[in-house]
Amino acid sequence: MCIGVARDGARWYRGRRSMFKKLLIANRGEVAARIARTSRRLGIAPVGIASIADMGAKWLDAMDEVVCVGPSAARESYLQRERIVQAALQTHAAAIHPGWGFLAEDPLFAALCEQHAVTFVGPSAVVMSKMGLKSPARAAMKAAGLPVIPGSDGLIADADEAASLARDVGYPVILKADAGGGGRGMRRANDERELRAAFAEAGAEAKSAFGNGALYLEKYLLGGRHIEVQVLGDRFGHAVHLFERECSIQRKHQKLLEESPSPALDAAQRLELGSRAAAATARLGYAGAGTIEFFRAPSGELYFMEMNTRLQVEHPVTEMLCGLDLVELQLRVAANEVLPFSQADVHASGHAIEVRINAEDPERDFRPAPGTLERFEIPTELGPGKVRFDTHLAQGDKISPHYDSSIGKLIAHAPTRELTIQTLLLALRAARIDGVATTIPLQIAVLESPEFRAGTYDTRAIPGWPAR
Amino acid sequence: MAKVPLIPIGHPRADFLDTASFEKHRAAMRALEKTLEERRAKIREGWGASYAERVHAKGKWTARERLEHLKDPGSETFEVGSFVNFERKFGKLESPAAGVITAFARIAGRWTMVIANDNTVASGSWWPLTPEKIERAQTMALRLRLPVIYLVDCSGLYLPEQSRSFPGLTGAGHIFKKNADLSAAGVPQIAGVFGDCIAGGGYMPIISDRVYMTEQAYMVIAGAALIKGAKSQHLSSLDIGGPEVHVHQSGCADVRVPDDATALAMIRADVERLGSSACDFYRHGVEAAPPREAHAELDGLFPSDHRMTYAIEEVIARLVDRGLFWELMPERGRETVVGIGRVGGLYMGFVANRQGLIDDVEQRGAKKPAGILYREGIAKLSAFSRACNDDGIPIVWLQDISGFDIGVEAERLGLLGYGSSLIYTNSTNSVPMFTVLLRKASGAGYYAMAGLPYEPIVQLSTPITRQSVMEGRTLAIAAFNTKLDDEFEILSKDPAERAAVESGMRETEARIESDMSPYKSAAQMDTDEIVKFSELRPWLVALAEMAYQSSGSRRIKNPRIWSLHDLAALTEGPA
Repeated sequence: MCIGVARDGARWYRGRRSMFKKLLIANRGEVAARIARTSRRLGIAPVGIASIADMGAKWLDAMDEVVCVGPSAARESYLQRERIVQAALQTHAAAIHPGWGFLAEDPLFAALCEQHAVTFVGPSAVVMSKMGLKSPARAAMKAAGLPVIPGSDGLIADADEAASLARDVGYPVILKADAGGGGRGMRRANDERELRAAFAEAGAEAKSAFGNGALYLEKYLLGGRHIEVQVLGDRFGHAVHLFERECSIQRKHQKLLEESPSPALDAAQRLELGSRAAAATARLGYAGAGTIEFFRAPSGELYFMEMNTRLQVEHPVTEMLCGLDLVELQLRVAANEVLPFSQADVHASGHAIEVRINAEDPERDFRPAPGTLERFEIPTELGPGKVRFDTHLAQGDKISPHYDSSIGKLIAHAPTRELTIQTLLLALRAARIDGVATTIPLQIAVLESPEFRAGTYDTRAIPGWPAR
Repeated sequence: MAKVPLIPIGHPRADFLDTASFEKHRAAMRALEKTLEERRAKIREGWGASYAERVHAKGKWTARERLEHLKDPGSETFEVGSFVNFERKFGKLESPAAGVITAFARIAGRWTMVIANDNTVASGSWWPLTPEKIERAQTMALRLRLPVIYLVDCSGLYLPEQSRSFPGLTGAGHIFKKNADLSAAGVPQIAGVFGDCIAGGGYMPIISDRVYMTEQAYMVIAGAALIKGAKSQHLSSLDIGGPEVHVHQSGCADVRVPDDATALAMIRADVERLGSSACDFYRHGVEAAPPREAHAELDGLFPSDHRMTYAIEEVIARLVDRGLFWELMPERGRETVVGIGRVGGLYMGFVANRQGLIDDVEQRGAKKPAGILYREGIAKLSAFSRACNDDGIPIVWLQDISGFDIGVEAERLGLLGYGSSLIYTNSTNSVPMFTVLLRKASGAGYYAMAGLPYEPIVQLSTPITRQSVMEGRTLAIAAFNTKLDDEFEILSKDPAERAAVESGMRETEARIESDMSPYKSAAQMDTDEIVKFSELRPWLVALAEMAYQSSGSRRIKNPRIWSLHDLAALTEGPA
């Protein structure tokens, strides 16, 4: 079956072009299961890695071979770069897919793969490093023509420079660590006095957390929305966007629900945002799948926030919307194939929503609730739209306390937003999970809430789930 | 791409060195670096502001200003020989940097060697060691096939000292021999003539492929001062040998330009017409990346007491891209470390000395001191050096070496012979070699590890480098051997004689200590430059780029066909 025509004129047939014969999946759980599925479909033998805690887990059945890479703690196993590369060499895997999380955005891991002639499925180590630090990423995106949140162009030398910049962009402002993440080295300031105090604090905190005290400054924007664009580039300078995902429903920066299209954008805005993101991707020489995250201010302006140089958890939203398999596309780009389609060939149809189902108790401050899935039924055939359930678990499985508490992701796709919501609600209400508390009640409340129905929510609060 | 199995080495500083010690080492190093900075700044001033003003009054730029306008904006230059003639007196005068600036500079993305007469020091005239400094720079350019740019503004030899700079093997005339060698080897030479170029100064530019003359420049075999009747005819040197004569009549120059700025712009344009750098090609699709652990930490890794040890792996980790390194023969000759890393994305071989105690292979469970060379280590260095030469991988020698092992066993094992083999290897290598004297550079170790007598292309010292045949204490023992017993204690019981021997030994030790100063060494051209530890990584990146810049000029094998892989297969056992 022909699945597309490449720009070089060659037709893409499933299984016709030669591909990696063996792929090592440097991840666990649902991530590993997801990648193994595509790998298997393309005729690529998946090789799994596992910590001692995960040995014998059912999701490993999807693998042709499994290499144990160390003790339960991720630091001792899934984050051990050299052991993982060694596992690939010993099993003769030609490529490594890092999935998301763990080593997916680790330039050293990518460089190590390259030195050992194992293809890293992802962008080059250099692009990854550049996007990993906030200020070069900002500069690169600005140069590529994307709007960035008003603030410093690079790093700030001292509190005086910060104060003078803050006067230009207007208070409140936020100081962020160049090497940052997880909110550390981040300080908000409402006036100059606060800013001067915050500068010293944030610098010291960033220095102790990341060994790099460099800071930059941005205007602090309240009550906006988190909208990200899925992009895809090849090694020949081509890049396309696969539309956006709206991820504003978050709890402490953890996304809970994602949808596409975003209710906040009209058709013209979506195309404009997408084409800018694709142009920036091409300009960066970015090869593979990536996500450019934007902040949409209440006034409607969109600003670049950061680029994730990997596949995202919520990628199935895009897959269902566009009818594509992003893991397949990643693998083809990694094998130096030309992108099989141009922007004009990409079509989004209908609406897709993903809800994350975690073993956390939303009634008890989302405390992780590991345990055994005594009953685990999620119907996917109730309609009216299509439903996909991505999970690595089955009834009787244990949810390990060593790793994150994800049970799975339920994604629905239907011609309209309303029908998609209905589809999800039908499935969620019929779901039966016993043995662990889950986030399903929260997801139902969100989907039923008037703010969500109206599409007017933002990142400040979870609609239908008052802070408690 | 061929596999080069680099793996991460090194650790965050806090994992192996407590903050207090680190800060203590760093404070001691910073004090030494401050001296270095001050001395550099003084040298950069030449003869001072009044001489710079004189140059400006003529509508010209100083040599340093010319260099600044010539290089790519914002790029870093790497000076060599800046301490030549440091603190050396000629009567009442000194000659900062021997009156000439020699620097690696990037022009239009290509590394070049710029040789610029310092017109703020005796009008750019040549002092004792000035010819040698210029010739050393020419040799570096020849070995690396770097275009040479001469910024000529030289009133000839500093005549009162002519006997020390004119007639000898490396006297001024040898510069022109080097001009010819460079030309014969196909290395591009471009000259800008900016002012007085008398006698030697006149010869230096004209073997160049392109010669630019400003309207203030003249080139003459002898100036008007030596021409009979010049005064009565109102003939100036400019009339005799200015651009009017040389560009239009004699053909000794190619282009006349109104001023310094135009000359430099045209030289830049010329360099741009030359082949571009091949570095990106030799990076094999990988881009340069900084070390994982900050190279700026290097200055706090070296203990202030030279007898104390440190971890050489941590030093290498802070010099190579991402801290990725492939150590070869790790189990053999543990007193040494050899291996491959990328520097600025380009493969370089590293040879270094391990410090502290290592396992003694001869006696199970026993330890022996590293920091010197034993038989296995010498053999390992030879094999690695030969392989790198075979494979075209430039070698960086990181020396901190007190010498060879000595004693009955060492001689019986034939260390002299193994040492000779290493010396033969290094002497006949054609691959670019760069030597860095991290700390000690003593005795046969300094020679065997490609010290200056073995003609590394560049040899760098640090503020803590100690170059000598042996440490002062050892040398005093050797000198007073007949007065000492088996345990090196003074034999005599006579208090007066004991005191005489003691003070003699102390004096000897003190003199050797002062002779070991890197400034003294650099002043005598026994090392090419003194650099701060924080400058080491930028230096190595620049040297790597220079070594790979010109394709077709030397053997550069792709990693698939490296003989290093054979060496690894033979020494590491089953894969």
